[in-house]
Amino acid sequence: MNEKVINFYKHRNIYFIISICIILTGIISALTGGIKLDIQFQGGSILKYSYTGTIVSKDAGDIVESALGRTADCQEQTNMVKSNQMLIVNLAGNESITPEEQKTVTDTLTKAYPDVNLRLSESLSVQPFTGARFFRNGILAILISFLLILVYVGFRFKNIGGFSAATMAIIALFHDAFVITTAFIVFKIPLNDTYIAAILSILGFSVNDTIVIYDRIRENKKLLGPKTPTDYLVNLSITQSLTRSINTNIAVFVSITIAFIFSQVYNIESIKDFALPMMFGTISGCYSTICIAGPLWTMWKNHRAKANLKKA
Amino acid sequence: MKSKATFFIVVIVTAALLLLSLFGLHLGNFNLKGANEMRYGIDIRGGVEATYTPKDLGHAPTSDELDAAKAIIETRMDAKNIFDREITVDTTQGAVLVRFPWKSDESDFDPQEAVSELGETALLTFRGPDNSVILNGTDVKKSYASLDQQTGTYDVVLELTDAGSAKFAAATGKLVNQNITIYMDDTQIESATVKEQISGGTAQITNQKDMKTAKALADKINSGSLPFSMEAKDTNIISADQGGGALSVMIKAGEVAFALVCLFMLAYYRLPGLVACIALVLQVVGQLLALSIPQFTLTLPGIAGVILSIGMGVDANVIVSERIKEELSVGKTFRAAVSAGFHRAFSSVFDGNITVMIVSIVLIILGSGSMLSFGYTLLCGVLMNFIAGVTASRLMISSLIEHKSLQKLWLFGVRRIAA
Repeated sequence: MNEKVINFYKHRNIYFIISICIILTGIISALTGGIKLDIQFQGGSILKYSYTGTIVSKDAGDIVESALGRTADCQEQTNMVKSNQMLIVNLAGNESITPEEQKTVTDTLTKAYPDVNLRLSESLSVQPFTGARFFRNGILAILISFLLILVYVGFRFKNIGGFSAATMAIIALFHDAFVITTAFIVFKIPLNDTYIAAILSILGFSVNDTIVIYDRIRENKKLLGPKTPTDYLVNLSITQSLTRSINTNIAVFVSITIAFIFSQVYNIESIKDFALPMMFGTISGCYSTICIAGPLWTMWKNHRAKANLKKA
Repeated sequence: MKSKATFFIVVIVTAALLLLSLFGLHLGNFNLKGANEMRYGIDIRGGVEATYTPKDLGHAPTSDELDAAKAIIETRMDAKNIFDREITVDTTQGAVLVRFPWKSDESDFDPQEAVSELGETALLTFRGPDNSVILNGTDVKKSYASLDQQTGTYDVVLELTDAGSAKFAAATGKLVNQNITIYMDDTQIESATVKEQISGGTAQITNQKDMKTAKALADKINSGSLPFSMEAKDTNIISADQGGGALSVMIKAGEVAFALVCLFMLAYYRLPGLVACIALVLQVVGQLLALSIPQFTLTLPGIAGVILSIGMGVDANVIVSERIKEELSVGKTFRAAVSAGFHRAFSSVFDGNITVMIVSIVLIILGSGSMLSFGYTLLCGVLMNFIAGVTASRLMISSLIEHKSLQKLWLFGVRRIAA
């Protein structure tokens, strides 16, 4: 082999430290700032109105409160592109409100501010139990997917010790899920169905990345024979697939970044909340394959080899 | 040379599908809806989504009760001219899900009011020619569709309560050969001529068009005796300008990203890059058709699914192109390199796709709403990746290298041949 093989395995401890630092950042921010679940998951109500002119948000909050008999918090938001303003009415607590109550809010506010062309832009009202069910189903879907990936990868990569390889792939996936969650927490994006979609997309990318490397390991093992040292096998396979890993991930990263830039310019929150964590997820998905799944699996194999040697 | 032409056939098929996906196909009764008639979720184009559950009902609603509740909502939406809608009954949750767009030109339309009105108790009345009320919905014990074995026509059978029978017998005695009209709220839902006095407590409305029409009418009549009103505690209303903005931004971002990815593939992989671009167009077009033809609702998470599968598609092409490059640089002939490249790349593309497919099927089974949309687009994307990224790419490259003039190493991004 005249090809230069990059020794990824040698620097494994550095990768592990980087990953642990990122995960710790997530945990610390979660402990200090808390994890914010969106209305979709924990229930509650929010109403958004567009208007032109001035509304003192505190007064608006008082008006809604006296009309509904429920604590309400109002905020103003300015949209640069559309040059209008938004009044966001957050109702405290997790209970949803009926369409009749929603109408009361709209009518009361329109009556109190007749000159600002107040119009309903968005409203969301979710009962706590609906939200909890939705959240449960999302988490369940992720966990069942993990389990099935474990079984499939274990089965398909039997000749490189299927189950151990699959376990390391799953660890890499957990790593990515952690990184995305950290991005959501650090950027203070509430967890909602965008979060589930982002996690699932990244898991898809990441498991695909891992499988490409495993596939190369599987192939090289056949070519070079079973006696090849695992760390050489893994380093060689990663090196050979490196151009592919970089090119694919550049293509995906650039696409997501463009989506992020557009959503930032036009201030489309739903896309921004998806694209930003996805940018981190894409990098993490590639990183976790090369720097986590590969080295961990090598460590496991080396450990087993030593244990077998002792037995014999 | 048959094989040389394959490339152009694939390109023509792709172009034809692209046109189909952009404009759809309408020949007489034959309709294929293109992306211009895509059904978008309310997060994209604005609209109303509400989950109705029975208010103050002691027990879980039966499926007949839910069907009746659905019939009420349908009739009312007809009356409001909202025909572009999805109404589904969820028997396990005991709920009726309603989704409809909120068009930007309807400035006097009040979505909050509409949502609350749709759930109100229905007032069903049978009225005589002078508009006097003969029966109320509560006078009907049960109504169902049936097929008359002798005449072969579809009927709706009404079983009346004792009080209802007496009132109906008295009224029909006077109204032979005149019409009785059934109203829900103020909407007329049926008008029938009285043939003879009906005193047995069972009435029939004959000559319905088919079983479906008969069942729909029976559901509407049943709704009159529904002992509860429906309440929408879970609602989501998004105005059209809020939603529509997201769509145009996504389309713009998608176009720019697609162009950049194609440029990158062309610059880096040359000929295989060109093939990859065509394959990607084919994949995305197939995915769009899989959404627009069955009118599957595309939501923002669904677009995330499209992005993920484009990523998978790029990856399949990158893996193949890299492999061909590797084979060429060890000195294989073009034919052998392409054949070996695809052969070697296949197992990794296959395993990657199958794994993502597993995830998407889990989502389709478990998910509702946004997760379902994500799972469905992803599944279609991965299936299309097999067709486009694997099969079509292979056909195209194999065909192109039959041209002697294209058998150039630089066209495959290979710099040198290892001795």
